[in-house]
Amino acid sequence: MRWHKRLLVAGVTGAVVLAASACAGGQVRGAGGTPQPSGSTTQSAAAQANDATFVYAPNLDVVTDWDPASSYSNEIVAMSNIYEGLTRYNAESQKPEPRLATEWSSAAGGKEWTFKLREGVTFHTGAKLDAEAAKKAIERTIKTNAGAAYIWAAVDKIDAVDASTLKFTLKYAVPLDLIASSGYAAYIYDTAVADKLEKGEIDAGTGPYTIDSWQKGKETELTLKAYEDYWGGWKPEQYRKVAFRVTPEITTAWQLLQKGEVNFVQRLNPQLFEQAGMTEGVRTAQRPSFQNLLMLFNTAAGPAKDVKVRQALQLAVDYDGLTAALKGAGQKGSGLVPQGLLGHSSGLEPKQDLARAQELLAEAGYGPDLKELKLTLTYAQGDEDQKLLVTLLSTTLKQLNVTLQAKPMAWNAQWDLGKKQGQDVFVMYWYPDYADAFSWFFNVFRSADKPQFNLSYLKNAAIDKAIDALPELSATDPLAASQAYTDLQKKIIQDEAAVAVPYVQTYQRALSADVQGYTDNPAYPNVVFFHELSSAG
Amino acid sequence: MPRYLTRRLGQAFLVVAGVVALTFVIMRVVPGDPAVAFAGPKATPEQLAAARERFGLDDPLPVQLWNYVRDLVTGDWGTSLRTRQPVLDDLFQAFPASLELVGAALLLAIVVGVPVGVLAARYKAKFPDLGVRVTSMLVVSVPVFWLALTLQTVFAGHLDWFPVAGEYDRVLDTTSPLTLWTNITIVDALITGNWPIFTSTLEHLVLPTLVVAAYPMGVIAQMTRAALIEEAGQDHTRLERALGFTETSILTRFSLRPALGPVLSLIALVFAYAIVNGFLVEAVFNWPGLGRYAVQSISHADTPAIAGVTLLVAVMYVVANLVVDVLQGVVDPRARAR
Repeated sequence: MRWHKRLLVAGVTGAVVLAASACAGGQVRGAGGTPQPSGSTTQSAAAQANDATFVYAPNLDVVTDWDPASSYSNEIVAMSNIYEGLTRYNAESQKPEPRLATEWSSAAGGKEWTFKLREGVTFHTGAKLDAEAAKKAIERTIKTNAGAAYIWAAVDKIDAVDASTLKFTLKYAVPLDLIASSGYAAYIYDTAVADKLEKGEIDAGTGPYTIDSWQKGKETELTLKAYEDYWGGWKPEQYRKVAFRVTPEITTAWQLLQKGEVNFVQRLNPQLFEQAGMTEGVRTAQRPSFQNLLMLFNTAAGPAKDVKVRQALQLAVDYDGLTAALKGAGQKGSGLVPQGLLGHSSGLEPKQDLARAQELLAEAGYGPDLKELKLTLTYAQGDEDQKLLVTLLSTTLKQLNVTLQAKPMAWNAQWDLGKKQGQDVFVMYWYPDYADAFSWFFNVFRSADKPQFNLSYLKNAAIDKAIDALPELSATDPLAASQAYTDLQKKIIQDEAAVAVPYVQTYQRALSADVQGYTDNPAYPNVVFFHELSSAG
Repeated sequence: MPRYLTRRLGQAFLVVAGVVALTFVIMRVVPGDPAVAFAGPKATPEQLAAARERFGLDDPLPVQLWNYVRDLVTGDWGTSLRTRQPVLDDLFQAFPASLELVGAALLLAIVVGVPVGVLAARYKAKFPDLGVRVTSMLVVSVPVFWLALTLQTVFAGHLDWFPVAGEYDRVLDTTSPLTLWTNITIVDALITGNWPIFTSTLEHLVLPTLVVAAYPMGVIAQMTRAALIEEAGQDHTRLERALGFTETSILTRFSLRPALGPVLSLIALVFAYAIVNGFLVEAVFNWPGLGRYAVQSISHADTPAIAGVTLLVAVMYVVANLVVDVLQGVVDPRARAR
């Protein structure tokens, strides 16, 4: 045999061996999903009017955990359309609104809560929603103790008083109607099939959509279809099918949106976002999120232990310059609590004042003609917005004879170092798991012997006492709670100078111009409630 | 041949074992608690402790290494901290798509690179040679990410000749579902005669294949040219010339075969390189391969997944070299004696 023929035979043999070794054995891709919607016998003639699929372009995997008890990641976008909670937060009215519960009341100073459940709701499994089913779901989530299950920590016991009445008895007062609106760990689901959810073939929710197909790792990872018996009903112009097309690159997402291949891009960069605003067939939407950046100063050790140094650092941040450089991706906040949450206070906007910063540093013994101040700062690796802050701050501080040694780190490494008090300034985002400002105070500023998120290491008994009183106040007297939040923010930001808040992140979305009804609800990050949308096309 | 093969297999085993040990050590000396990737960024101390116990992260390092190697040998590559699925399942999902892209790119690189190299050698120091050298230098040095974005913007965005991204049109999953045999879409579409998916995949393959093929094509052309020019100085070439063979005939009939040895070695090298280089291309073209999995695993500090990807790439590298060694033995019997 000639050499090139032998080469060919070897090549073909190799290819056959490779193919055989990779052999998966005759499965149909996307099996488990439904056939064409037109083949559905339950679909009404009116509903066929909008046969378009709404395509969402996320930049990361869509689902990593199908269990509604432990789910605590990107899948919030899909899960919020498959599952529902007792309430849903309205960022405009700043109140929870009815969802699976139609009304609720509290008694005993916020330690007893009674929810009246909606009639005529069924799970996607066919089972009927009643108080016993809701009780089982929440009890299973508490028992699972994963993800955000801690939100139910105050619950002592749950009683199904009758088929439509659910009563919670709490160990201490909390605003349970807000907790029940959480985007994580507050879903009501059919526990009978809870151990069969892992493969993403079925779900156990009551929401408007149910799983059509899930192909992990594929470009179109997940498709959802309308749940025909949804209690909210269906109108002809609503989207009955949804697809998630994973698109890691922003530029690719932008190309796909322009071509009409996707309908929604969760975030473009500022340049493309500006371009999107001027492009035909595309519209943009932006609103402040509930996520702000915190610069936590080490109040326990090192040079930042001196409150004057901390105040100088607060004054050195160029808040307006940073907002301008972020080109809409972030905006200056007021205090610790973002707008749209109970506890937000106007009049706490920070301002750069380099002259005052220099005076304060001089009082602490540092400055251009005095000793050089060296500070270490850690921030998130790969986050361009944080990098921008660090670059601007380093340049400003240089003028004050302060050298900032900034280290970009992966979260787990940064957090580990932070727990050991390994830096002078810890930069991180904070966001609430449900629409309540409490977590900024309880998690980040309440004294802790072993710091978890109290990475300013603040220890102040008076602040602790005020924080501990917040849940009961929120549950019983929102006005008094609002004042208490304002007072606390003044103590933490102005008196203790434990933190600076450089900006609140702004959501910048781009979507097809023919999509109507979209509102961004920052209580549910990146979630589009597809059932509320309609197509004008 | 069997002794030659045994020797090569032994060497391959040592390389893979070295990679396993090195990967494990690197994963464990990197600062930060891997349990955070599983328990979430806001995990409570109890949740972190539970995750550490579940994955044996509190065990002494030698015990962890022993468990890791023992599990690897039994086919358990661990559980991804991010996707919560067995790493081997995740890799099995992602790898065929990468293989499809890199396979197509290498095929293109060989089919174009070798003849172009022959052409350059045939017209050494003349215009075609200059053209080939300049072009191959250009495609080798252009950043792959830039090339991907440019081709996508021009040929998909503006000219609309090719799709922007994806492996095939997703609508075909419902109109023309694909039966999987090898998990490599284009191969399965061909085997099962699923022409809509086959043609759609071909269309989607063009741009990413061109980008991944650019570097291998350039180096293969250059290496073929250099090897042929070296052969031109050999005694046998002078004899063939004296016997009246034409220059083209000498190149293709006599010089190409011995010159293919170094080219084959190079192909093995660029194969592994193309898989890793393809990660960026996959991100730009939404190609559902190892790239996305690797990038997300790294950003989430998902150590079992990172180790899995590293090991798989190392194994592919070793296998590619082994295959080339065997092929060289077929092409050039002298190689077996070395």
